[in-house]
Amino acid sequence: MVDERVLEELHASVEGDTGFVRDLIDAYLVDSAEQLEAIEAALRAEDAEALVRPAHTLKSSSATVGAMDVSALARTLEVAGRSGSLGDLEARRAAEALPGVMDTTEPALRAWIAGAEGR
Amino acid sequence: MTNSSIALVVDDSRVNRLVLVRQLATLGLEAMEAENGIEALDLMRAHPGVFDVVLLDVLMPGLDGYDTLEAMKADDAIRHVPVLIVSGVEELDSVVRCIELGATDYLMKPINHRILQARISASLAAKRLRDLELEYLEQQRTLTETIERQKTELSRFISPQISALISSAEGERMLSGHRRQITVAFCDLRGFTTFAEQADPEELLGVLGEYHRMIGEAIVAHGGTLEHFAGDGVMVFFNDPIPQDDHVERAVRMAVEMRDRFAALAASWRKRGYELGFGVGIAVGYATLGRIGFEGRYDYGAIGNVVILASRLSSQASADQILLSQRAAGMVEEIVDVESVGELQIKGLSRPVSASNVLVLR
Repeated sequence: MVDERVLEELHASVEGDTGFVRDLIDAYLVDSAEQLEAIEAALRAEDAEALVRPAHTLKSSSATVGAMDVSALARTLEVAGRSGSLGDLEARRAAEALPGVMDTTEPALRAWIAGAEGR
Repeated sequence: MTNSSIALVVDDSRVNRLVLVRQLATLGLEAMEAENGIEALDLMRAHPGVFDVVLLDVLMPGLDGYDTLEAMKADDAIRHVPVLIVSGVEELDSVVRCIELGATDYLMKPINHRILQARISASLAAKRLRDLELEYLEQQRTLTETIERQKTELSRFISPQISALISSAEGERMLSGHRRQITVAFCDLRGFTTFAEQADPEELLGVLGEYHRMIGEAIVAHGGTLEHFAGDGVMVFFNDPIPQDDHVERAVRMAVEMRDRFAALAASWRKRGYELGFGVGIAVGYATLGRIGFEGRYDYGAIGNVVILASRLSSQASADQILLSQRAAGMVEEIVDVESVGELQIKGLSRPVSASNVLVLR
């Protein structure tokens, strides 16, 4: 769900500033919720072009905070958006899976923070 | 790494921007953010020279990394800012394209802190070098401009040959003194002292101005080096600082042109009641040439018997005479008709010298 090595590396790269990582994860959760809404709206409207931008950003941000499963799903949607193939099986499965995966990613991220703050 | 370095972070993801800005802060860099290429270009153009490095995401909505790079490279004000491409693993092809478009280097996401540090250091060093180069070029340009202006100004005060000599590589050697065979021509006016006593100052300066203008044009036309003006007296020499194989011939041709043109001037002055005549003395021989004078006022001058001889010949010349020393006459006999004026007693020389007057150019 969450690649802790990415979070550890990130943590180290900001001189162990746990407060920064916590704020960053908060920002990620806010932004990714917005991106999910935009993705769902684009899918409902079957607007491939409108799908690309939020999917791309979500893919990228998620990878930064170690949310690799979310990143992978967002990537599938970005590719589908670029190729205009929203109806592909893979794209539909990714769209269906995304909200649930995001829901389980959030507590994993918070748990990592709690652990880091306890260290 | 200096604390004053400023980076521009261009990424569509706020999370990515936050991370990069924070990581750059650990390296002592301040950072500004842009969400896409358009914002980035606007910022750079609004603050030219401010950004030391740009961290550029490739795939962005709006203006993407490629277009941003191309726009930067086409803009002289921002083309030299180093660009680090920030790229995902699956975008390696795009990295190659960015480097081809002029990006400095790339960073792979997720960003390794030590690689970031190394790349930023290298980019800032390159930028500093580039800034130093620009600064140096600017100084160079200002210096060249100043020197050119000084040369132009200098050539108004002294002979162009001598102003060129001063600015040349061999200038110091020439100025510090050398011996060379030269031809010296002295010219002055007959009746000038009387005229100067009688004429109004304006009239005096007016006549002198017309005379000097004519003299000056003839000197330039024949490539003479003007040594000095003293009232109506003018000393010109040839074959230095620029060598001239035909230096005697040049001096004679110059003198003949002056005499012809003087006749026209004298006719107009005569109508105004002034009787003025023109005489020239020309001699050839070795002289010592170089910087003569004292700290604060130097002239480029010639010293030697040849100078004295030419000067004395000029004093002995009556109106419209161009007196040549025997040696000078011998060197131009093929181009002029001369008449002997016999032997002249010259003050300062023990023996009388024979001299000839130039009648006409053949």
